[in-house]
Amino acid sequence: MSHLAHTVAVRATGVDMFFGTPENQVVALKQADFEARRGELIMLVGPSGCGKTTLLSVIAGTLTPQAGTVEVFGQRLDGLGQEALTSFRRKNLGFVFQSFNLIPTLTVIENVMVPLLIQGRPYDEARARSLAIIEKVGLKGREEGRPNALSGGQQQRVAIARALVHEPPLLICDEPTSALDKDTGAHIMQLVRDLSRSPERCVVVVTHDHRIFRFADRIAEMEDGRISRVVDDPKLLDTSHL
Amino acid sequence: MYRLALNMLFGDRAKLAMLLCGLAFSALLMAQQSSVFFGIMSWTYTPMVNIRAQVWVSDPMVEQVNDAKPLRDTDLGRVRSVDGVAWAAPLHTSFVQARMQDGNFKLITLVGIDADTFAGAPAVLTQGRIEDLRLPDTVIVDEWGASLMGRMGVGPDGKPRNTPLKVGDTFEINDIQARIVGICKVRRAFTGGPFVYTTYDRAKGYTLGARRTLSFMLVEPQKGVTPAELCGRIERDTGLKAWTSDTVIWNWGERSLARNTFWWFWTNTGIPFSFGTAVLLGLFVGIAISGQTFYSFVLENLKYFAAIKAMGAGMGVIARMLFVQAFTAGLIGFGLGAGMAQAIGRVMIEKGMPPFVMFPQILWATFALVLGISFVSAVIGIIKVSRVDAASVFRG
Repeated sequence: MSHLAHTVAVRATGVDMFFGTPENQVVALKQADFEARRGELIMLVGPSGCGKTTLLSVIAGTLTPQAGTVEVFGQRLDGLGQEALTSFRRKNLGFVFQSFNLIPTLTVIENVMVPLLIQGRPYDEARARSLAIIEKVGLKGREEGRPNALSGGQQQRVAIARALVHEPPLLICDEPTSALDKDTGAHIMQLVRDLSRSPERCVVVVTHDHRIFRFADRIAEMEDGRISRVVDDPKLLDTSHL
Repeated sequence: MYRLALNMLFGDRAKLAMLLCGLAFSALLMAQQSSVFFGIMSWTYTPMVNIRAQVWVSDPMVEQVNDAKPLRDTDLGRVRSVDGVAWAAPLHTSFVQARMQDGNFKLITLVGIDADTFAGAPAVLTQGRIEDLRLPDTVIVDEWGASLMGRMGVGPDGKPRNTPLKVGDTFEINDIQARIVGICKVRRAFTGGPFVYTTYDRAKGYTLGARRTLSFMLVEPQKGVTPAELCGRIERDTGLKAWTSDTVIWNWGERSLARNTFWWFWTNTGIPFSFGTAVLLGLFVGIAISGQTFYSFVLENLKYFAAIKAMGAGMGVIARMLFVQAFTAGLIGFGLGAGMAQAIGRVMIEKGMPPFVMFPQILWATFALVLGISFVSAVIGIIKVSRVDAASVFRG
C-alpha cells in the first residue's frame, strides 16, 4: 500500500446510537470506534443486529449519533444540520444498495445521471459523463434500456456507475452482492476493489457474504454495537456466526 | 431532475392512465356540468336575446324578464316623451295555450311586436317574410317550435314521424285562428314554449279579457345617448323601470335585465344547488381518484425517493419533482377533460338540447380546480416523502 493509504478517510470515535423510547431503548451503537483509510476497501462484518447498518448510516450522514464524533475526509459530521448533511452527501458520497434501488421507470443512463442532476449539473454534461462511466463498468450499448431488462449483476453495475459518476471520495456499499450469484458477486467486487485504488477514495462495504472477504484490504468485525476487532487477513476471521 | 421526474411519471403507464382518467373525468364533470348550468341559466333571459332592443322599460316591480307586469298603453307615450328617446315600441309577451289542428294543446310564448316598426322581430327567418305579419290572423313560429307543434304521423317506412308546421299551416289561440306566414330561428327559452310572433294589436286579440297587454316597451336611444344614461332619464321622468339589454351577466355596472333575470333564478330556484353539487362532486371525485392514485404512485416510488434523498437531494428538489409530476398530469388531465366536455357540448348544441354554454371563465375555473387537485395530490405525496428517513435505504 502507498503512504497515502494510511491517511484516514473516515474516523468515528465513541459513537452512541439508541433507538426507541427511554423505557424501551434499543442500543444500536455503544462507544463504537471505526477508522477507514484512503485508497482502501474496508468491510464491516458481523451478525445481524450488531449495528453494521447503523454505523454505515452514521458514516453516510443519514443518521446523526447521540454521542461521539464522525469525521469524513476531514469534515466533522456530528453537529451538522440536515441541510448541511444533505449537501455533504451530495458532494462526497456514492451509494450502492443491497436491492440496487434503480428507478425502474427510468433508463439505465437516466438512473446513472441522478447524482449529477441532484448536484445541479446541466443535463447534457450529466449525460456525457454517465455515458463514459457506463462504458467503464462494461455496459456500453445498454444505456437506453430499462434496469428490469438487465441481469442482477448488470443492475448492480449500473448502481456502481451511479455511485461513482460524480466521483465521490467515499463509496458506501450495503450488501452489494447479496442479490447476486457467486461469480457475478466476485466480478462486482473486483470492479469495486479496482475503483477503490485511488488515494482520493475510500470504499466501505457492509456484508454478510464471506465469499467476498478476500477483496477487502481490512475487515472490521462488529459485535454488540461496537467494533470488536479489525483484521488484515480474512482467514483470521471466524465466519461461522456471520 | 424535472426531466427525470417527468420520465418517472410517464414510465409508469398504468398509474399515469389511472391518474389522467381521474383528472380528466373530474375536469369533464366540472366543465360539462358548469356549461350545462350556464346554458340553462342563459335560457332564462332568452327573450332578451331573441327580442333585440337597446333599452327595455317595465313596471317598477318587475324583477326578471319572464315575469312581466302589464303596463298601461298610455305609458308608451310617457316614455316616448323622455328626452333622448329615438323611438319606443310596445311589446307583449305572455304564455298562452295553442290548440293544434289535431286537437292537441301546446303552451306557447306569444310575442306581440309593433306592426309599424317590427321592433323586436326575430333576426333570422328561414321561411316567409316579416312583412306578412301585417296580413290578417298571421303569426311567425320559431323553427324548434314548428317541430314541437308538428303533427305526429306514420312515415312511409311505418315508423312514427313528426311533420313540423310549415308556412300556410294553421292553429288556434283562444279560438282565434293563427296562420303561419314565416318560420324564424331564435334561441330556446327556459320556459320551454315555442316562440310565436305576431303583431302587438293581434296579440291583444289573442289574449281575450286581459285588461292590460303592454308587457314591456322597447326603446332606442338617440345618437350620443348611452342606454344606461337613457335608463336613468326614463326612470327619473316616468317612475318606470328601465333596463339595458346587456347579456354579460357579470357586468355589474350595467342595469341589465338579463343579469337580473340570471341572478333571480340563481337565488330563487334550486338550479345552482343542483349543478353546484355536481361540480363539487366532480371536484371531490377528482381529489379522491387523483389524490389516491398519485399517493399510490409516490408509495410505489418511496424507496427511490428515499434513495434520492440519501444521495443528497433536499426536500425542496423532491417537492419540486412531485409538483412537476402532479401539475403535468393535471395539465394533460385538464386538456383531455375539457376537450371531451367541448366535444360533448358540440354534440349537444347540434342536437339542440340540453343547452351548453362554455364561457372561457368556465375553462379557467376548471383549469384552476384541476391544478388545485394536482396541488393537493402533490402535497400529500410530499408529506409522505418528507417523513421517509434517508437511512431507510440501508434497511433492505
